[in-house]
Amino acid sequence: MGSLTEESAAWAASLENDGNAFAVIFDLHRDRVYHHALRMTIDVHVAEDVVAATFFELWRRRKSVRVVDGSVLPWLLVTTTNISRNLTRGIRRYRALIASLPRATEMRSSEDLALETIEEIRLAAKVREAMGTLPPADAALIALTAFERYSPAQAAAALGITEGAARTRLHRARVRIAAALGNLEVDTNVTKETSR
Amino acid sequence: MSTMEMDPVFTGALREALKATVMDSPRVRRRWRWRTGTGVLLGVTLVAGGVAVASGLFSPPGAPVDTLLGSVISATRTGTASVDIGAPPATATDVSLALTCLTAGSFDFPDGSSMTCDATDLTRPSIYRTASEVVPLTAGVDSVTIQTSPDATWTLQVTYVNQVKTSWGVNANGQTYGVSNQQGTPDLIAVVVDQGKTQGYVEQRELNCASGGDVKSLSEAATWNETSKNRNITIPVYENDGVTIIGTFTVGSATGPNVRTVPLSSLSLGC
Repeated sequence: MGSLTEESAAWAASLENDGNAFAVIFDLHRDRVYHHALRMTIDVHVAEDVVAATFFELWRRRKSVRVVDGSVLPWLLVTTTNISRNLTRGIRRYRALIASLPRATEMRSSEDLALETIEEIRLAAKVREAMGTLPPADAALIALTAFERYSPAQAAAALGITEGAARTRLHRARVRIAAALGNLEVDTNVTKETSR
Repeated sequence: MSTMEMDPVFTGALREALKATVMDSPRVRRRWRWRTGTGVLLGVTLVAGGVAVASGLFSPPGAPVDTLLGSVISATRTGTASVDIGAPPATATDVSLALTCLTAGSFDFPDGSSMTCDATDLTRPSIYRTASEVVPLTAGVDSVTIQTSPDATWTLQVTYVNQVKTSWGVNANGQTYGVSNQQGTPDLIAVVVDQGKTQGYVEQRELNCASGGDVKSLSEAATWNETSKNRNITIPVYENDGVTIIGTFTVGSATGPNVRTVPLSSLSLGC
C-alpha cells in the first residue's frame, strides 16, 4: 500500500491524462476493491467484472469523485457497493469492453471458491442478502464503516452527506442489518465497528 | 490460483485497458481556482476574463483586450440548462461567461472546460467559486448551455464582447514579457502582488523551479508535496526589464505555525 502523498500525486497526474499514474491508483486499490466485490457478489468472475467497471467508472466520473483524506478508495468502495447491488445496470456500459479482456485458461469455478472458503461464502451470502435489504446509501455506509473500517466522518465525506446524517443512517442501517443477519457472527462485528 | 486474488491475466489486461482509456480521453482542464496566496499569476484566468475586464485589472502584453458590448445578463438555473443571450451585436467576436456554483456539483462550459465545487467551496466568498471563460461566437447560436451534475445550481453572468488580441513585449535583453496565451509562455510572466497594488513579472524559469516543475517522477512529486506542506517559496517580481526588483511573489499556499517562507535563492533545488 503506497502512502497517501503517493496516491495524491498519482491522482493529480491521472487527471492530466497520465495513464501510468492511473495504473498506480489501480495497483494501490484493486485488491481492496476486489475483496469487497467478492464479499458483495460471491462469484470470482462477477467480482472481477465489478472491479473493472468500478475503475472505468472512476475514470468516467473523475471530475466529481470525492477524495477523502487524500484517497479515492472510499469512493471506489461506495461505487463497488452500488455496482454489486445492481449488476445489470452497473456493468452494462462496459460489458463489451470487459468481455474483450482475456482471462487465464485455468478458469476458476464457484465450486473451487466454495471448497476453499466455505464458511466465508456462507457468511458472505447472508451478508449480501442483508445488504440487499438496505437503501443504497445505507449499504454503502455499512460497507465503508463495518467492513472497511472507515470512520463515520470519512464515510460521510465519501457519500457527500453530513456526519450527523451518516450517524443517524448508520444507526438505522445497523438495526436493520442486525435483524436480517440474525445471530451470525458478523452481527457483533457490524455493531462493534459502527458504534465507535 | 487463489480465489482471493484476481486472475492475473485479466488484471494485466484490465490495467492496460485502463491506461489506454485514460491516455485516449479528451483532456479535462484543471479545476479552476483563484490563487489564495499573496500573488496572482496573470495567465489563462485573465485571458479568459470577463471578470477581469469588468474590474479593470492591469492588462499586460499578450492578453486579449475585451470590450463589453451591451448589458450583462444574469441567470440562475438548476441542472443542465441554457441561457438565452439574444442576437449578437455586429462587432461581437466572443461571449464572456462567469459561472458561479451555488451548490456542490460539476459544471461544464460549452468549450468543454469544467469546474467542480464541493461543500468546502460553498463556505467561501463567491469569487472563489466563480470560473470565467471567453468563448468564440458560434454562428446562429444565441444561447449558452451549461451541463451539470444532477440538481447542481449555478448562476451565469454572460455578455457579448469584442476581443482584440495583443502581442508580448520584448525588453532590451531580448526577453519576452506578458501573459501566457496560445503562443505559449513568455520569459517574464505577468503577476499582481500586494493585493493588487504591485504589478510586475516573474521569471518563467524561477516560477517553474519554485513550483516543483523539475520533479521527474511520482516519488519525487510525493516528496515535493510533503515538503510543500510546510514551505512556501518566494521569487522576485521584476519590472518588464527583467532586472529591477519591485516585490516578491509567493509560490505555495502552506499555512500554519510550522510554515517557513524562504527565497528560492536560498535553496539548492538544482533548477
